[in-house]
Amino acid sequence: MNKQNNSFMSWLDKRFPVTENLERHLTKHPVPKKVNFFYIFGALLMVIFMVQVITGIWLMMFYTNTEEGAFASVEYIMRDVEYGWLMRYMHSTGASAFFFLMYFHMFRGLLYGSYQKPKELVWLFGCFLLFLLMAEGFLGYVLPWGQMSYWAANVILSLFGAIPVIGPDLQVWIQGDYVLSGATLSRFFALHVVVVPLLMIALVVFHIFALHEVGAGNPEGVDIEKHRDEKGMPLDGAPFHPYKTFSALPAIGIFFVIFFSIVFFAPEGGGYFLEKPNFEEANFLKTPEHIAPVWYYAPFYSILRAITFGIPLLGITSKFLGFIIFAASIAILFVVPWLDRSKVQSIRYKGMYSKIGMILFAASFITLGYLGTKPVNELRTLIAQICTLFYFLPLILMPIYTKYEKTLEVPERL
Amino acid sequence: MIRSFTLLLLIAFCGKLFPAGDSECGALESCIDYKADVHDLFSLQRGLGLYMNYCSSCHSLEYLRWNRLQKDLDIPKNILREDLILNPNIKNSDYMTFGLNSDDSTAWLGAYAPDLTLRTRVRGESWVYTYLQSFYEDASRPLGSNNLVLQGSSMPHVLSSLQGRQQLNNKGELVKVSEGKLSEQEFDNAMQDLVNFLAYAAEPIRSEREKNGIFVILFFVIFTAVMWLLNREYSKDIK
Ligand code: HEC
Ligand code: HEM
Repeated sequence: MNKQNNSFMSWLDKRFPVTENLERHLTKHPVPKKVNFFYIFGALLMVIFMVQVITGIWLMMFYTNTEEGAFASVEYIMRDVEYGWLMRYMHSTGASAFFFLMYFHMFRGLLYGSYQKPKELVWLFGCFLLFLLMAEGFLGYVLPWGQMSYWAANVILSLFGAIPVIGPDLQVWIQGDYVLSGATLSRFFALHVVVVPLLMIALVVFHIFALHEVGAGNPEGVDIEKHRDEKGMPLDGAPFHPYKTFSALPAIGIFFVIFFSIVFFAPEGGGYFLEKPNFEEANFLKTPEHIAPVWYYAPFYSILRAITFGIPLLGITSKFLGFIIFAASIAILFVVPWLDRSKVQSIRYKGMYSKIGMILFAASFITLGYLGTKPVNELRTLIAQICTLFYFLPLILMPIYTKYEKTLEVPERL
Repeated sequence: MIRSFTLLLLIAFCGKLFPAGDSECGALESCIDYKADVHDLFSLQRGLGLYMNYCSSCHSLEYLRWNRLQKDLDIPKNILREDLILNPNIKNSDYMTFGLNSDDSTAWLGAYAPDLTLRTRVRGESWVYTYLQSFYEDASRPLGSNNLVLQGSSMPHVLSSLQGRQQLNNKGELVKVSEGKLSEQEFDNAMQDLVNFLAYAAEPIRSEREKNGIFVILFFVIFTAVMWLLNREYSKDIK
């Protein structure tokens, strides 16, 4: 951008630092030249976030947030609102896509040690985003007021009720009623459309600012700042715009091809994106035979169910212990930057134990996810318990094995 | 990258090692597989005919409007008013409730007949299709009939005049004990029409959605191709 020749820009820049920020974050911001497939998910997350906001606003214009009206208003959107069906399917498919991308994005972080110094805050803001997204999905799922909305929410809310001493009062406070009811629905609506999205937007901004402060990583774990050309641009780097923006566009195109294939040809996602019982209005007299969370919560739900025992000595019920372990399975992700003591970032240069740990972790996560969508039986519970163990162990033991294992030499350049 | 992919595939495979094996179709091992076809207008019209004659006395369609039905199924306006709506007090834009409401009318059956607008989406098309074929005579039931898919169902075998009466043999399988008005093949076709119609009622936009989706996808395929070429040009200067 040429400041001298453009009087409007210079007028603006004196009052509001447009050019400075465009340069800082886009045209002069250096990013590694060579990254792989896993590095596209951040950009796709931004895209899907926008999709959710836009379709969500549209839905909000026609949705009724009352116990009597909610379910019917969703059918109204599906049938009587122009393109309402498209907005709804995009929003419901978008929720699944959001999690799918999020899990890959995080897996990239774990694989390539993207959370390591100095990117701890990038990771931490990311973890808060995961937490918020989980809350957002949960709140949104209650809104259509179908059978699964009602009963799955009941399961989760009853977890708060299982907390000793304060539990029952806490549950009533969250619900705004003695049972899950219209009062809960309307407050969940407010949280889903205003509070959580606002927090998420703020955190995405923090996430990106923190990242641009310390610089993006790469799958090799090479520090590109070490070698610069005479203008100060890293030799292995290229300006974000136009190089990264244009390399993201075909990926966004491919993403939309897949996304719209689901929206138009399989919006129910085989019963995983829109669950069958949710096409029946909530009925507090009729518990469904099998309450299954949506697939993206399934790994964590499995962990919750795997805890079939309590600690009677301390007065801890199995339900409460399940809740603690379930919360811990998310909380432990927040501290990963401080668990990894390795000298190298990328899994490519880490040792044997890191590699085995990563495989065990990922395999357990996926197996837990599969089990979480199925009804329990003895064998499945046992497998879920083993997988819960192998979900935690690679993380808990990380400080030990990353410190002592033999690592490979990281190259100087990308 | 290839290595990461194989790894992911391998990991994903772990989940598949434990098969499910829970039948959805009650006493039957599995439902008869059926995927509704909502593009065949004549089939939908025949399905509507069956519905009006055999189902509408008990089951409402409370999310489907008469005029939507008329438009989508290409029904002449006068036929809609004179042969389908009948009641002059009902507006074209009203829902197809047939004057039923959930707490009266079917109390004598021991259960109220659920609204059917979304039923194929709740149960699945295969389930409904199988359910409609699986009624049999059972003297132990108040109305003398039962269903293999929904054991103890309080819906009578309303289609027996078309299908013929069915009983269970000693292996627990359905056998026909009298002929109905329709041959086996005709009855099967009729049930397909009925399920197609119910699938339409559950999602009136479905046929349009399945027809137009391809253009949206095509747009993004072209978009991807153009952007890919553009990106290739740009990335030349940073090689
Ligand atoms: C005499 C009244 C009556 C008629 C006529 C009738 N049904 Fe039913 N139907 C019922 C009742 C009552 C139930 C509830 C069964 C139960 O839950 O025990 C039911 C249940 C059903 C169900 C299962 C709903 C579910 O998911 O549990 C389907 C599907 C169904 N009916 C379809 C039809 C179709 C299609 C027709 C027309 C061919 C029809 N019914 C005609 C009374 C009727
Ligand atoms: C709304 C959700 C999120 C959005 C929109 C988002 C967006 C982004 C973007 C655009 C980037 C830069 C491009 C890239 O490296 O992929 C990025 C990087 C990163 N994100 Fe996220 N992110 C989100 C959630 C998360 C979560 C849940 C985590 C992990 C807990 C996370 C961890 C990271 C890390 C560690 C990086 C730096 C990667 C590196 O440069 O090596 N993010 N994010």
